[in-house]
Amino acid sequence: MTINIENEKKGAMTTTNVESSRRNFIFGSVAAAGLTVAPGMMLYQTANARSQSEKATSKVRWGMLVDTTKDVDWNKCVDACNNEHGLGNEHKSRDDQKTQYIRVVDVKNKGTGYSISLPVMCQHCEKPPCVDVCPTGASMKRPDGIVLVDRHRCIGCRYCMMACPYKARSFVHEVLSDQKENTPRGKGCVESCNMCVNRIDNGQEPACVEASDGAIIFGDLNNPESPISKILAKHGGKQIRADLKLNPGVHYQGI
Amino acid sequence: MKKLHFLEVEGNTKGFFTFLGLFGLISLIGILSAYYMEHNGHWVTGMNNQIIWGTPHVFAIFLIVAASGALNIASISSVFSKTAYKPLSRLSGIMAISLLSGGLVVLLLDLGRPDRLIVAMTQFNLVSIFTWNILLYTGFMGIVGVYLWTMMDRPYNKLTKKAGMAAFIWRLILTTGTGSIFGFLVAREAYDSALLAPMFIIMSFSFGLAFFLLFLMGSYKYTQRELGDYIVSRLKNLLGVFVAAVLYFVLVYHLTNLYSADHRDITVFILTGGGIYTFLFWVVQIALGSLVPLFLLYGPTGKNRAMIALAAALIILGGMAQLYVIIIGGQAFPMSLFPGMEVSSSFYDGVIASYAPSLPEILLGLGGVGVTLLLMTVAIAALKFMPASLADEVADPHSK
Amino acid sequence: MWLHLNFNFGFNSSFVSKSLKKLPLTVAGLAFIAGINTVNANQDGLGPKITIPESSGESCILPSAEMRRQHPDLLKHDRIQTLREGVRAKADGGKLDGSLKQCVNCHAIKDASSKFVRIDNDQHFCVSCHKYAAVSIDCFQCHRDIPEGDGEFHALTNHKGINYSNIVPGTSSLTIKDMANIAPEVISDDN
Ligand code: SF4
Ligand code: SF4
Repeated sequence: MTINIENEKKGAMTTTNVESSRRNFIFGSVAAAGLTVAPGMMLYQTANARSQSEKATSKVRWGMLVDTTKDVDWNKCVDACNNEHGLGNEHKSRDDQKTQYIRVVDVKNKGTGYSISLPVMCQHCEKPPCVDVCPTGASMKRPDGIVLVDRHRCIGCRYCMMACPYKARSFVHEVLSDQKENTPRGKGCVESCNMCVNRIDNGQEPACVEASDGAIIFGDLNNPESPISKILAKHGGKQIRADLKLNPGVHYQGI
Repeated sequence: MKKLHFLEVEGNTKGFFTFLGLFGLISLIGILSAYYMEHNGHWVTGMNNQIIWGTPHVFAIFLIVAASGALNIASISSVFSKTAYKPLSRLSGIMAISLLSGGLVVLLLDLGRPDRLIVAMTQFNLVSIFTWNILLYTGFMGIVGVYLWTMMDRPYNKLTKKAGMAAFIWRLILTTGTGSIFGFLVAREAYDSALLAPMFIIMSFSFGLAFFLLFLMGSYKYTQRELGDYIVSRLKNLLGVFVAAVLYFVLVYHLTNLYSADHRDITVFILTGGGIYTFLFWVVQIALGSLVPLFLLYGPTGKNRAMIALAAALIILGGMAQLYVIIIGGQAFPMSLFPGMEVSSSFYDGVIASYAPSLPEILLGLGGVGVTLLLMTVAIAALKFMPASLADEVADPHSK
Repeated sequence: MWLHLNFNFGFNSSFVSKSLKKLPLTVAGLAFIAGINTVNANQDGLGPKITIPESSGESCILPSAEMRRQHPDLLKHDRIQTLREGVRAKADGGKLDGSLKQCVNCHAIKDASSKFVRIDNDQHFCVSCHKYAAVSIDCFQCHRDIPEGDGEFHALTNHKGINYSNIVPGTSSLTIKDMANIAPEVISDDN
């Protein structure tokens, strides 16, 4: 697991008791997560790692590569996502009103009958239409390429949902309670996959990546030495609706 | 030609208070249903993650589009110097403001977080066409306000033409902006068309004038003021031209879409296989909302006031249907993640989304109409918007 | 909800002109004063009562008096840093990372059955004051209102619920007079 050792050390050395207990709280969970990762798994590169006190920069562009030819149950990724973000706590909404960050899409060629399944989440477009149309700047792209909704600013106009070509966004249709600590979400705002930004900032991989048995690789697309960039360079990958020229950060193999 | 004389509507009458109460009640019901929707969240509506904008948007966009159309009368009078429309230009201006206010109220109250209006007013993303619309709407109110002032304050009359020109240009941009809200949605087949913005302009001419004519006839009837045939027949002839123009645009719009590979599916869906949307298109929009009114306006009934009013009402109905088909039908048709492939998922990929308007949504929409009428009612009683008489000897520049 | 907000605004506005000259107060701070000022006329203990949880003696990044006044600004600043810029910890080695999550973890209150009280409970740390000051809190429409774990990694309260016997023996809620003793700076500002 590639956590930011430097920062952790600094934190532990220079601070008071109170603070170090806080550090332990934050980084302790990272260490624990690190232990659970199987050795030899493809993890993301540290080259452009940043400490928690630094701003995200455009030196990094986070992305994912989904290998749809691998025989995995994509529903595991969906469950991991729902679990990570506390989704599914709507009690009144109809099924078509409930939030989904990631869904399994079945694609079938009518002519040949060939079919595949693939997980689709927010594609973290480089030129995200959801950001362009948002009147308040709530829908935003972090410099490192993660597209987020700033719920403090979102007025719930839902224009971003109209604009997203991937149907990646959901609107919260009811009052929510019992949210996850790391994923605040509530009535009247639009939301979508945030690439588990809380985990990334913590040195962890997104939840779906962790649950994918290696079928989804996460990493820095800007760093040619990162595993994801190397694999993309060698074997290539495709983006969904690449014709729209939004340059999504999520790439697929086998579609 | 007799001298034109503007006069407030007598406010201290039973009739006035009846209308005031009626429109106030409709507005109040609309606001209460919005409160109900906001309090519970949108799960109580028919809207969902596929049909993102529902019935309130149909009403709101109708009112906003009609607002710029309502200003037409004034523009014709001051920009194109057609004196025949001069008596109506004040009413036309205030109606534009009222319609826009009604539409904006609906748009605002349907937000997920209307309490954050202050955010929308202070944090601008200037790339967003939505932001531009907010600025355009605010500007429209201001410019039309100034325009009205130059009309109503004698020393400033000489500025009317300039203000009218500014308002005219502004309103063209405004409707283009409203149309562009949809036009910029590249991923949605239904909207990705350069024709949408000009079509919205011509729709605004028709809806705005229909609303104007209906209000004019109604208010003159209930205030027992005289409304001569000269004005009515001019307006209804103009209305007919606009209706025909919309029809022509709809034809071109669908034909070009049929011939473009990207848009054929959605067009075929709307025109033939779209269930309620196909019904609304052919029966309500085309037949009831365009052909029947054309017949009523130009046929043997063309002089009958009741029939003219009916035609205007039908045009409004048809306009609502048209926007319903564009807005909701356009969303119901699935976006293609993989063009040419069959797609399915738990998130309703590849299927026609279902939507049934809920009562609160409809009431909120009607509330917007209520707000418009309420504002008009108050306005014509407070200030001199309406000519005391529009009898032919006043209105017709050729009468002796 | 939004109707509530409007109501509060109206409630505060009459104090704005008076207080604005003195200090660049936040709206919440104003409301706090407004709330207290309103009941000043009624110092016989019949006015609204405030319920403040017992402190464990530690303080947050600023002394309590400043926290009371500045927490909205601090939170707002940090939410921009965290969410929009990705800064998760204080660069200056500051004591706390400024996430609302952390506020909740330190300040959570447990009820008699040792369960954390939620935002709909008047004893919730934030609610206890905000309700008194009639300032609605939006935060917990989205943010989790209680710790996910046991939340005791840095306790600012003893998590034990309300017990004022240390302040005013034999009482479970405080009057405006008691408040004046605990937080005189809040009262004096307005005079
Ligand atoms: S996939 Fe949709 S929500 Fe995600 S960045 Fe692209 S446009 Fe925005
Ligand atoms: S719903 Fe929120 S995030 Fe989406 S466009 Fe509107 S304000 Fe922006």
